[in-house]
Amino acid sequence: MSRDEIEDLLYQGYQGRRLEEGVRRSGFLQWPERAVGIDTRSIVIARAMMHAVDGRGDLCCPGPMSPGPALAFGATPLEFLRQLAHRGTSPAASRAGGLSWTDLRRGLIGWDGPPGMMTQVLAGAALAFAQRGENRAALVFESERALDTGGWHEGLNFAAARRVPLIVVLVASGSAGVGRVRQIDGVARAYGITAVSIGRDSHAGIFATVRAARRRAAVGGGPTLVALEGGPGDDRWQSQEEFASWALTEGHVIEGELESIRRAAAAGVDHAFGRIVKEPGPEPHDALAAVRIGSPPLRPWTRLKSPRPYAGAEAPMEGPGVN
Amino acid sequence: MSTDAPVHVTRTRSGKPATFLEAIAEALWEEMERDERVFLMGEDIGAYGGAFKVTRGFIERFGASRVIDTPISEGGFTGAAAGAAHMGLRPVVEMQFMDFISPAYDVLTNYVATSLYRGAGPLPLVVRGPVGGGNRGGPFHSQNVEMAFFHTPGLKIVYPSTPTDAKGLLKSAIRDDDPVIFEEHKGLYRAPHCRELLPQQDHVVPIGKARTALEGEDLTIVTYGLMVHRSLEAAAELARDRVRVEVIDLRTLLPLDEKAIVASVRKTGKLLIVHEDTRTGGIAGEIAMRVNERAFEWLDGPILRVTAIDSPVPFSGELEDFFLPSVADVVTAGRYLSKY
Repeated sequence: MSRDEIEDLLYQGYQGRRLEEGVRRSGFLQWPERAVGIDTRSIVIARAMMHAVDGRGDLCCPGPMSPGPALAFGATPLEFLRQLAHRGTSPAASRAGGLSWTDLRRGLIGWDGPPGMMTQVLAGAALAFAQRGENRAALVFESERALDTGGWHEGLNFAAARRVPLIVVLVASGSAGVGRVRQIDGVARAYGITAVSIGRDSHAGIFATVRAARRRAAVGGGPTLVALEGGPGDDRWQSQEEFASWALTEGHVIEGELESIRRAAAAGVDHAFGRIVKEPGPEPHDALAAVRIGSPPLRPWTRLKSPRPYAGAEAPMEGPGVN
Repeated sequence: MSTDAPVHVTRTRSGKPATFLEAIAEALWEEMERDERVFLMGEDIGAYGGAFKVTRGFIERFGASRVIDTPISEGGFTGAAAGAAHMGLRPVVEMQFMDFISPAYDVLTNYVATSLYRGAGPLPLVVRGPVGGGNRGGPFHSQNVEMAFFHTPGLKIVYPSTPTDAKGLLKSAIRDDDPVIFEEHKGLYRAPHCRELLPQQDHVVPIGKARTALEGEDLTIVTYGLMVHRSLEAAAELARDRVRVEVIDLRTLLPLDEKAIVASVRKTGKLLIVHEDTRTGGIAGEIAMRVNERAFEWLDGPILRVTAIDSPVPFSGELEDFFLPSVADVVTAGRYLSKY
């Protein structure tokens, strides 16, 4: 890891923690329970990809409940909080919930659908990279529950058959109870792809593992299946404090720099909280306008005024309700 | 057009009439030559050339990276097509039979159709394939699938009835930024009476515009697909009774060309809707409601419909003939309405 990458990880890790603490204190926002605890490692995984802001970098689908990877792909705390609070200013204009949304310039692709579906979608995105000979790869986070679905296996099978540059992270869900991420060696063997497990690995170790998988994928080595072991409340992996301590010990940062990073992350998050409290909710006419190309965004006329019987030749051919 | 094109995509260039199937193949070929972002995905469409040979010779010309033989997993490869579309490609997915689209219903309705709504941008994606009965294909190779998707905002549904429209509308669908379900009736694929000389130039038909297949004054028939031809046959028979029928070919079901329907009903005062799809929840119900909203005062009789009966598509010929709407059914309904 470079010094910049280490500083990014420290900053984003502190951001994630501050967000979590702030949401819990807020009294009006709810944090998805299963997002807690997995984010530090998922930030590291996402940061090991090649991020860009011009639409030419790697692609990341952070999964339905984990904001961490989106932070690594340039999402801001303000965007998260707007999404979480259903503000009209949120990236998806509150038309869709969840903590992930799509911004292809930053390489973010929002979660939608049941477990497994996004593996299909990201496999297709990776197919596009391969077809164009681009040095790009796609990353998708899935709950290990995806293993249960036919859709996930169809997506992985497609990716494996075409050897597209895709990294699929299966996150142990805890509530599934049986730690099925441990089965991935067998799954990967069946599809003829590589599998790696991440348990109590250091941040540096995780970063190196994913960076290697990404490098292999981009040169035609095919997909990699990553098992992210553990579950909510399971504290076996390296914590933010351990990572910060490691960065200090190894001389990547000094104490003053670490404190500056922490303060900057906290200030940004606190500022975002201050803003969203004052921001309005969505205005339906704006939020639902023009979501379909070539279709009028009007409400049905029955919602605007009473029906008026038309009579005579002057009856309108155009107007609300007429496409 | 390149010189190594297979015969079935060169009819128009050779000045010969094309079948419906050849028109589809020409549209795909020309769009792939015009735009390198266009690529095909489907089961056995490459080396085998597709179940109906629409894509015969394509893999030799465009290569395996643009004519992709997929696993038998309609959900998986339709999802992959969505991802490729996100990345700027323009996938055309072939369902070997449109009956097989049901495994992809999830990704089409929950992901593809909502993409623009969710702020994830437009998804230029075409899902095309053969539909319809009359070929003794039974319940799993004969369905019309339009109404499974008609209720989903964010999709377009195209269902042409002639080779000229098939080519022009498929080109439009491929160039469209919205996802398009494109239905091709198998009964039209190689029908001799359907051969047409297609326009030589880059022929594009706009999505969302119906056409008047026959002008008349006494009765409007609104229909699409193979039923356009059945309705025209019925109109010829009704003409012998001095009933002048106007036949509106919808061409596109979503967005529905309400203006064309309403204008015709206001002219004739009578409306008969004909579709091969089954009766309950068929598009006739939606059209009747729109006419009720926009042209109720112009109606001189009840709105009637001729459709398939509410049953899975039967396998035996006798049962299937009973199941499908016939010319005689349309004539009977037309006579009743004309005398109302």
